Amino acid sequence: MKLSGRFAAIALLLGATFVRAQTNPGEWRNYGQNPQGWRYSDLTQIDTRTVARLAPRWIYQTGVPGKSETTPLVFDGMMFLAGTSNNSWALDAHTGRPVWHIHQTPPTPLDLCCGEVSRGFAVHGDKLFRVNIEGTLVALDIKSGTTLWETKLADYKQGYSATAAPLVVKNLVLTGIAGAEFGTRSFIDAYDVETGKQVWRFYTVPEAGEPGGDSWSGDSWKRGGASTWITGSYDPELNLVYWGTGNPGPDMDGDVRRGDNLYSCSVVALDADTGKLKWFYQFTPHDTHDWDAISDLLPVDLTVDGRQVKGLIQANRNGFFYTLDRTNGKVLKARAYTKVTWADGIGPDGRPILIAGQEPTEEGKFACPGLGGGHNWQASTYSPRTGFYYFSSSENCHLFYKSKQDFTAGQWYQASNVEGPPGTHGTGAILAVDPTTGQTKWRFDLVSTPSAGLLATAGGLVFTGDREGYLIAFDDRTGKVLWKFQTGAPVDAPPISYALDGQQYIAVAAGPAILTFALPAAK
Amino acid sequence: MQLKLLTILVLAGVCLAQQDRPVKNPYAGDAQAIELGRVQFRMSCAGCHGLHATGGRNGPDLTRGTFAAGDTDADLFQVVSNGVPGSEMPAFGARMEDEQRWRLVSYVRSLTPHDAAPIAGDAAAGEKLFWEKGNCGQCHRVGTRGSGLGPNLTRAGRQRSVPYLRESVVAPNAQITPGFDTITVVTHDGKKITGLNKGLDNFSARLMDLSGHYYSFQKDDVTSIQREDRSLMPDTYRGMFSPQELDDLVAYLAGLGGGQR
Repeated sequence: MKLSGRFAAIALLLGATFVRAQTNPGEWRNYGQNPQGWRYSDLTQIDTRTVARLAPRWIYQTGVPGKSETTPLVFDGMMFLAGTSNNSWALDAHTGRPVWHIHQTPPTPLDLCCGEVSRGFAVHGDKLFRVNIEGTLVALDIKSGTTLWETKLADYKQGYSATAAPLVVKNLVLTGIAGAEFGTRSFIDAYDVETGKQVWRFYTVPEAGEPGGDSWSGDSWKRGGASTWITGSYDPELNLVYWGTGNPGPDMDGDVRRGDNLYSCSVVALDADTGKLKWFYQFTPHDTHDWDAISDLLPVDLTVDGRQVKGLIQANRNGFFYTLDRTNGKVLKARAYTKVTWADGIGPDGRPILIAGQEPTEEGKFACPGLGGGHNWQASTYSPRTGFYYFSSSENCHLFYKSKQDFTAGQWYQASNVEGPPGTHGTGAILAVDPTTGQTKWRFDLVSTPSAGLLATAGGLVFTGDREGYLIAFDDRTGKVLWKFQTGAPVDAPPISYALDGQQYIAVAAGPAILTFALPAAK
Repeated sequence: MQLKLLTILVLAGVCLAQQDRPVKNPYAGDAQAIELGRVQFRMSCAGCHGLHATGGRNGPDLTRGTFAAGDTDADLFQVVSNGVPGSEMPAFGARMEDEQRWRLVSYVRSLTPHDAAPIAGDAAAGEKLFWEKGNCGQCHRVGTRGSGLGPNLTRAGRQRSVPYLRESVVAPNAQITPGFDTITVVTHDGKKITGLNKGLDNFSARLMDLSGHYYSFQKDDVTSIQREDRSLMPDTYRGMFSPQELDDLVAYLAGLGGGQR
């Protein structure tokens, strides 16, 4: 009885410990650190006082051109990088020297939306999993990088591609797919970690006759997009996977796909074992502004309006921050975090209160947020220390143009484009938001649109990078800049933290390099 | 001998390859193809050339009817297919079918203002105004002459439309050439320094004033750093030049780089 009481006290002190129970804070084993994707490190050696002494430890130049959006994995003294253009590395985490490097040349021609990026590995036992840009899922031997199995997800010649880090749930490896700008029909897949055989597939666009199929006019569902290009999160307690979906296709001509266009711009909650849909919530019905709902979806237990709730939080590209009930998808809080011109808010039924006449036109219709939305894919972080959710936001508006376009399989199918109003330039901000209210607690203005993801630590810090090459540490409660370092290249990736030989490290990809930082060794 | 034979074979191959592809645009003047080309242009080309092809972030104005890489449809097709080495123009040959590229050519061709009135001014008089009365060379370079502070105008006639050139003279803040916006710094002692934006980040600013002096400031060391979407170019030229002189100046600019005269 006494022991039980002690355990209860520890659990109370640690708050939402269930989500981190299986994670060693010295490692970074998942894309989002824990399966819930909080990107929160329990390490405290680097804190608000010591961070001023943070210094580079080693830098590894991959030699592969192009931006890097990857989250490294670090454990067992090794760092694993899933890089651009199907390059993968295992580095000695102590020295930054390569142990193995493999490259699978992408096929040509390969028409892509947004570059040959890869956002990271997943791991299970002695296997690493990544997607290759041409739409395959690959299992690599962790010791040598040898390909153990490779499974084709979809045909790249039809416009499909793959960029997201996979997510391991029990004995399954889950992955999404990209390509909604090519009139594809997207899905979330689960494969057996040992064999690479498909266990289930959930199409994010239902076909005619299925539930939700009537939300598409005619046969437009066949080209419905709703891609799944950012890693979802997992709630072990409910055994649910939460995955965000992208824009419907074609992006800006909604006339050819009348209806809500389910499950585009939505979160789908799937049974992790079967892929069956438990519930969904559509943030932007019948989207015509390319406001994908792919941003991180973080399961967080919260007290909202005096009530304990199992929350699911997301800063959506459409300009609103949402707190949902993750057991049923009901909206608990929704509040604009950036300039929004298309809706007056979110109604009690969960649907946006639309402002008339905001659709793209032939002549161009001004709308905020712009094409990339407010918050985009860049990784966000939740700190149980402060209870704040940290994410980046673009402060950007666009003129949205619509055109009529015939569909050709494998060809770009966006039905027009955007441009910035003359005399404007995009800026951005890092925001700290209280998910129990949706209120912004602090903001740091950026001179450019954001590029990097975020990391929060138990040391009272929030790390991020910027387009101009700085890696920055903020005080997590105030947003005060406590440290910065010029990496020499735009930071397009999220920082991570881990421990090695009793030292806490910060690591981040910047341009084609990976950089690590630690406090100077005590003399 | 072997080399000579190889040369002949290569030349024959080139001729055959050229014969494989029509040198005449199969969609010339085709209204439907022009519309399809317009849609394609918006998605593939507008990012650099602007939604209306009048020039944008990097790409030149394509509505002039005269092009740097040649003025025939076949020349344009070749540029779209293979890109322009040494420039930011990429090759679309592997990403678009032949007919898509020909449609793009048809669309770009349709933009040429066939009934545009000839430019009224006297280019020679405009050149004199440019270098003397306007003293434009204080900031702009043409060929090897002038200063590099402002946009290089050596190829302005090929890159920009006549209305754009006229607007740039009389209303320089209407459209800022990318990379030529302004930063104003106010120091702790109240001094205000305005210059060309040579670099701005979240912690510092670098600028160059009209005299060519370079400044670098840390955000923490000054009262304010403000980026402004306006040009350092004075907006006084409308009053400085008569209508005839403006026509002359625009005629000179429009001819730079072998553009329209």
